[in-house]
Amino acid sequence: MSELSIEQFRETAAQIEREVGKVIVGQQEVVRHVLVSILAGGHVLLEGVPGLGKTMLIRTLGQALDLKFSRIQFTPDLMPADILGTEILESAASSSGIEQRTFRFRPGPIFANLVLADEINRATPKTQSALLEAMQEGSVTVAQKTYRLEEPFFVLATQNPLEMEGTYPLPEAQLDRFFFKVDVNLPNVNEMVEILERTTGKETASAGRAATGKDIVEMRTLARTVPAASHVKEYIARLMLATHPQDENAPPLVKQYVRYGVSPRGGQALLLGAKVTALLAGRYNVAFEDVHAVAPAALRHRILLNFDGLAEGIKTDAVIAELLKSMPK
Amino acid sequence: MNALSELHLHLDRWIRWRRTRRGLTWGVRGLSLGLLLALLWGLTGTLQGWFVESEFAAFVTLVSLGVATLTSMGAALWPLPRLQAARDFDRAFHLQERISTALELHAMPTLVPEELRRRQLKDAVDAARRVNPQRSLPLRIRPLEALLPFVLIGLILFGYAQSKSFFQETQRARAVEQVIQEQSERLEELLKEVEINPALSEEQKKALSAPLQQALQELKQNPTQEGAVSVLVKTGEQLQALSAPQAEKTLQALEQTGQELAAQEDTPLQAVGEQLKNGNPIHAAAELAKIDPSQLSSQETRQLTQQLQQMAQAVQENNPQLAQQLNQAAQALQSGNAAAAQQALQQAAQTITQASQQQIMNQAARQAAAQVQQCTGQVLAAGGGNTPGQATSSAGQSSQGNAAAGSGKGTGENPNAQAGEAGSSSNSPNNQPGDGGEKTYEQIYAPSLLGGEGGPQVGLNSGQGEGGQVIGQSPSAPIDSGQSLVPYTEVLGQYEELNRRAIESGQIPLEFTQIIRRYFDSLK
Repeated sequence: MSELSIEQFRETAAQIEREVGKVIVGQQEVVRHVLVSILAGGHVLLEGVPGLGKTMLIRTLGQALDLKFSRIQFTPDLMPADILGTEILESAASSSGIEQRTFRFRPGPIFANLVLADEINRATPKTQSALLEAMQEGSVTVAQKTYRLEEPFFVLATQNPLEMEGTYPLPEAQLDRFFFKVDVNLPNVNEMVEILERTTGKETASAGRAATGKDIVEMRTLARTVPAASHVKEYIARLMLATHPQDENAPPLVKQYVRYGVSPRGGQALLLGAKVTALLAGRYNVAFEDVHAVAPAALRHRILLNFDGLAEGIKTDAVIAELLKSMPK
Repeated sequence: MNALSELHLHLDRWIRWRRTRRGLTWGVRGLSLGLLLALLWGLTGTLQGWFVESEFAAFVTLVSLGVATLTSMGAALWPLPRLQAARDFDRAFHLQERISTALELHAMPTLVPEELRRRQLKDAVDAARRVNPQRSLPLRIRPLEALLPFVLIGLILFGYAQSKSFFQETQRARAVEQVIQEQSERLEELLKEVEINPALSEEQKKALSAPLQQALQELKQNPTQEGAVSVLVKTGEQLQALSAPQAEKTLQALEQTGQELAAQEDTPLQAVGEQLKNGNPIHAAAELAKIDPSQLSSQETRQLTQQLQQMAQAVQENNPQLAQQLNQAAQALQSGNAAAAQQALQQAAQTITQASQQQIMNQAARQAAAQVQQCTGQVLAAGGGNTPGQATSSAGQSSQGNAAAGSGKGTGENPNAQAGEAGSSSNSPNNQPGDGGEKTYEQIYAPSLLGGEGGPQVGLNSGQGEGGQVIGQSPSAPIDSGQSLVPYTEVLGQYEELNRRAIESGQIPLEFTQIIRRYFDSLK
């Protein structure tokens, strides 16, 4: 590893943020979390009401990263084959003049580097599950044949938290495969003015190329080498365990309102995200504040509230905040 | 210096500062703890009579400073692993785990690529260099922790001020205990003197030693003032009882007769008279036994008969046995029975020898009784409100055996002895008021009529200028020249009645009334 590559990591990341920022107004934290997730090699679930620029953000990211981008609009009638691809029968005449018919695999939109799964919760669970193997294994199996997806591969999904009718909430297994769940909130007044100005003029802004797929893969490899002190890793482990209500170190809020806590995959997401965050901050080791910075995005979709929690409208972010506050370093 | 060495240098500096801070913080906490312990323990000890003032102050100082030092040293020297110190360093100065990560990477260098490890170490050193622990984290004590020792010191001072009477009581009890110990030693010396006295027979030594040994044993078993006084008074009585006044009177009568006999020249009993006149009754008895009536002329026999009758007449009142023996000898001489006369003379000589030995016993017993009475006086004086210095002084010089006990008129052998005032003993000219660096005296109560009809109020010059006068009574002494002329049982009721009146009149301080009552109870 050369000195240049470390510097390049930060420069490339900054360049990506700058390019995205040309199109997306505000939402720095959302952009940062999505970028961290991509540099850590994870998938992102963006949740927010319609019109906040979720799809725009992902499209812009696709432009900035010079990656093969595909968009899947999830609808109730969407079938798994529409995502993964299907085998089609092809006829071709041979040299002997005999017509030969063969099955040829026609890849679906999943065969891209950056897949936008728009309104993912509108598809049926069967279709949603079509993404499971691709997201976890990086491969697709159709007709007993497994096709490797090109690296880097990211799924950036969006969902609308308000319209519940005709939707199919993602199952826990599916949710757990998302590295981060990022909440997209309303912009403030200044940002809103800027959005209006940018989107109602004669010209619309577009993002330039900031990194290639190869750069992303190298950056991902570098991020994994960032060291974390043993007590930081131990802290993450204690944090994970404390999200379970039966753990003795669990705070009262967890014991009262949480049904099930975070899986080890959540801990992996937390540490990987913290490593990327440390590098982005120009540091060569993971600090507690890096962990705290990514904890809500890494944990909020992995903590399942019980009936009381849901009934009383407890937010998982509040549980996480309590957790971070109560856990000694 | 490479980056790793520099990192360790910064870490060492932090560890030293951390130990200093911890030592200070826990030193203050230890001081509070020590003061609290000293307060509780000190006040308990004061109520239990463990301390006098100076000891209380020393104890409080020692405990509080001792605990503070121990906790401070313990906190400062408590083991602090380097990795833990590095983590604390990170946390204290927001170094974002740079130092601890660098240390771990140094311990396990294969975990990350060399380049990243090098850059991380450099980053950690740069961060550590920017930190100055002494400036950023100065020595500081929490206000509450700093205030607590002052509050506790205030409580201790308050407790100290409230405990004055307990200190005085403890001081008095110790003085009594010391005096009793000293008097026990005196009794032991007296016992030794009796045992090595060549003039006493073994039986006499046993008779004299028995009450002294019993007194010593009882003093050990019951070392209170009342108990000691009771034991000593009883021992004095027992010793007094060993003396027989009859023997003394017999010898006095013989001495007077001896003067007359010595004046009768060329008579058979002239030599006997000479010895009696010179106070040698044993030699006189030997001379009497040597007389052989068969060798005497008729004139000498007549003279001897008359002289024996004269002697018999002199001792008739005090020693009828001797008088009878002398008369028998005289009658035998008159009847011409020389053998019977000689036998009677030898019996008379033996009786005189016995009287003489009894007289030696009397003197020893009186001397011992006098010393025991002086011991009693010292014990009484120690409990009468004297300061320990006075009690010790008087006890230390009491071997001169000349002052009256506690109260009364000192008429001892030492011509320099002052009249003893109540509650004080002035056995020696060296024990004048104002000695020992003390310039003032607290007023000492003296019962107005205790011990007799009372006497004129006297003012004693301290002899030291500012010592002032001690006002006291000089009631008649119960002991004169070390001899008790009246058995105390005859005067006890009178004394008790006088004392009761004094208590009822309110003249006696309350703290002494119970002691006095117990004393009189012990005498019954």
